Amino acid sequence: MTVLFGTLGWRPQSLLPSIRSSENLERVVFYHSDHAKSREARAKVMEFCRSLGVAANAVEVGDAFDLLHVAGQIRADVRKERAASSDLRFNIAGGTRLMSSAALLVCILEGIPATYVHDETYQEIPLPLLRISYGTGLTAKQRDVLSFLVRNRDKDFTETALAKALGVHKATMNHHVRELEAKGAVARLSDPTDARRLIVKPAPGMELLVG
Amino acid sequence: MGFDERHVLPSLRLLPYDRLVLVAGRETVRSAGFRRLRALEPALRTVRVDPFDLMGSMESIRETIRSAAKDGSVRISASGGTKILTNAAILAAFQEGVEAWYCDPDPVRLPVLQGVVLDAVFSPAERGIARALHGPITHDRLVSGVASQGFARRTVLGALQSLVGKGLVEIGRDGGSVWVRPSSRFALFRDPLRQVPKKG
Repeated sequence: MTVLFGTLGWRPQSLLPSIRSSENLERVVFYHSDHAKSREARAKVMEFCRSLGVAANAVEVGDAFDLLHVAGQIRADVRKERAASSDLRFNIAGGTRLMSSAALLVCILEGIPATYVHDETYQEIPLPLLRISYGTGLTAKQRDVLSFLVRNRDKDFTETALAKALGVHKATMNHHVRELEAKGAVARLSDPTDARRLIVKPAPGMELLVG
Repeated sequence: MGFDERHVLPSLRLLPYDRLVLVAGRETVRSAGFRRLRALEPALRTVRVDPFDLMGSMESIRETIRSAAKDGSVRISASGGTKILTNAAILAAFQEGVEAWYCDPDPVRLPVLQGVVLDAVFSPAERGIARALHGPITHDRLVSGVASQGFARRTVLGALQSLVGKGLVEIGRDGGSVWVRPSSRFALFRDPLRQVPKKG
């Protein structure tokens, strides 16, 4: 069964083509803002889903200005549906810029087929995304190191301390940290209290990659 | 990239750069805001796109990234222009593996893995299958055809399953035979898939 996710703005037409074209559609989950016109569009989408006998969940995204926060919220919903073995699709055409970009970010990171709907023709346009998690760009060991750093973002780790915490040789840790640094996933920063020490910190937003 | 003074100017102040390339639609290039920016940055390079064409904008931005990357590192600010242009810039950044920021108004760095490009996720055997796949073909014929290019049969079978997992190929039974078909998404990846990897 398919669960269709979508972002909705003021025009229900941006989401309806995907509802029509989804095979074995079990449920529609869509995000919209608290603007009155967006709520009107929500009512129309709900009515359309009812007419098709398809369940629909509307999620109102309030005053949201933090892209990564909204993306984290959408990702949690997506993962919940995926855990239930549903086939997922995402229509990112509607909604605010932030909502649509957050949805696109989730699709890229989680490998969800995403579509856009043309503003005038309402034709669905598939986006070039693979059904693979973007995190596969990291090796398993790199992922372990990055996950540990993200979980302990508020603490300071040197390479040696990191090696000890994860039970690997410090030369091995140096290799992983260098690889992660080359990918922009971590940065080595001078310790403000001791300039001889370098602290390894995850780059901002890496929670979405390995969280 | 894109142009909206409320979004672009803060990112110019917050993200250091040596050269500035602006991707924008025709109306933006005619705007007063653009003229003000041009006065500040005489060496500004402009790439014109249709800001309502997501795929076209994405391809233009990818080209621009590749061209700019020859002269140094590339950083994208994806928060200006239309919503479509923003999404095109985000997609392009992930596909080309370049640092990307979203400034609305505070800068947020997107979790792009630098240097991890789209083409890197395809193995040589997957590319071999893509070159041999032009429409529906029987499983046996495809596997033996690709194996004759120098791949072990087991490698080809693994690559085929990998392409199924990526959503690019479909396998089904029809008339007593197992058939392999390119999926509707296959066309989106045809070019990078069919490229022969460079040696050395």
